[in-house]
Parts: sequence; structure tokens; C-alpha cells
Amino acid sequence: MDEQSAEETAFVVDDVSNIIKDAVESTIGSSTYQHNRVNQWTSSVVETSLNQLTKLGKPFKYIVTCVILQKNGAGLHTASSCFWDNTVDGSCTVRWENKTMYCIVSIFGLAL
Amino acid sequence: MEDYQPNDEVSFNADEASNYVKECIENVIGGVDYNQNKVNQWTASIVEHSLTQLVKQGKPYKYIVNCAVMQKSGAGLHTANSCYWDTTTDGNCTVRWENRTMYCVVCVFAVAVTL
Repeated sequence: MDEQSAEETAFVVDDVSNIIKDAVESTIGSSTYQHNRVNQWTSSVVETSLNQLTKLGKPFKYIVTCVILQKNGAGLHTASSCFWDNTVDGSCTVRWENKTMYCIVSIFGLAL
Repeated sequence: MEDYQPNDEVSFNADEASNYVKECIENVIGGVDYNQNKVNQWTASIVEHSLTQLVKQGKPYKYIVNCAVMQKSGAGLHTANSCYWDTTTDGNCTVRWENRTMYCVVCVFAVAVTL
């Protein structure tokens, strides 16, 4: 009984990672970087990801962050630091790219 | 026999957090130019110091601090956040900073801990 409930309430990185990849592919899978559409894209990726995550029905609060960067030779560095409960909370980052842009999505899941 | 009454409602003070973060950024990269060799140290330092300052406030929150440093070279950068949480107690704050050679964007997310 205990094992079953632990599985249902753990942050499963693989499941989350797949959900994100699907969300990114369906939003910008075949697009080239376009300045006037990027806002829609980032909003769409985070909303789609969040909807799919909440459908999992786990007792978590979620934070989804998406960064889209044009491939132009610029350097980009990001870092995250979290103050939480290591045993139940978790995060996952998905890096995706195509010929004209990079997309980095980070999910943070905090247990209730 | 009395129920425990908290002194005041727990809520996230975004202005205060914003000030802590601005100070941390200034301290770490205040007067320097973009340097590829040092950027890793800078982002790590900014998130760690910001987090330490926030935790020192002693509020019942879990925190996530995210920092992005980007070289100014004409590239377009867009970010979006979406959060599924309790809007009465949880909150976030984003600080955008720049100098001649780089942009720095720091996001702080605070999620209340229910005891």
C-alpha cells in the first residue's frame, strides 16, 4: 500500500520530460524563429505543458518556465537554486533546438 | 483551548524580494563586461546569494530562483512562466537588469508551505 501511494505522489522526471517534449514539438516543431510570433509560442508551450501536467492528477504545485533564444551566436547561461524538500519535490529541464532557435523548458514540482 | 492564530496572513512580498535580488546582481556583475569564462560562476553566485537572503527572512516558503545571463549581440530572447499554485499565498517576482554588454533576468518563485 505504501509503495503504491509513494509512486502516485512522486515527481516522475521521465513522464514530465515527455509531456514537455510533446508540447514543444506541437507548438514550434517545424517553425523558424519569427520575432512577432515568439510571444505566442512561449505562452503556448507553458500553457500546454501546465495543462498536461495538471491532468496527471498528482498533489503538486507546478512552475513552468520556457525560454526561446534565436540562434545568433550569443552566449546564454542560466542557473536555478531551490529551497525545498528534497525527498518529495523535483525539477526537470528539457533542451530542444532546431536550425534557427533553442527552446529551454524547466518544470519545478512542489509537493503539497 | 484556543486555536493557534497566526499573527498575519502569509503572503509573498514581491517588492522586498525584488530589492534583495537587485542587490545580489549588482554585487556580482555590477561593473563587469560579459566574460564567457566567468558567466557560470556569476549565475551560480547570483542564485545562491539571492536564495540565502530570501531564506533568512524566515517565512514559511519554498523558493525557486532562476537566473539567465545573456550576451548583448542582437539575438532575440523570449521567456514565459506559468504557475499552478495557490494564488492567495504564493507569488513570484522577476528582475530585469542590463549593462553595456549583457542582460540578466532573475525570477523568484515562492510557494507557501502548509504546516
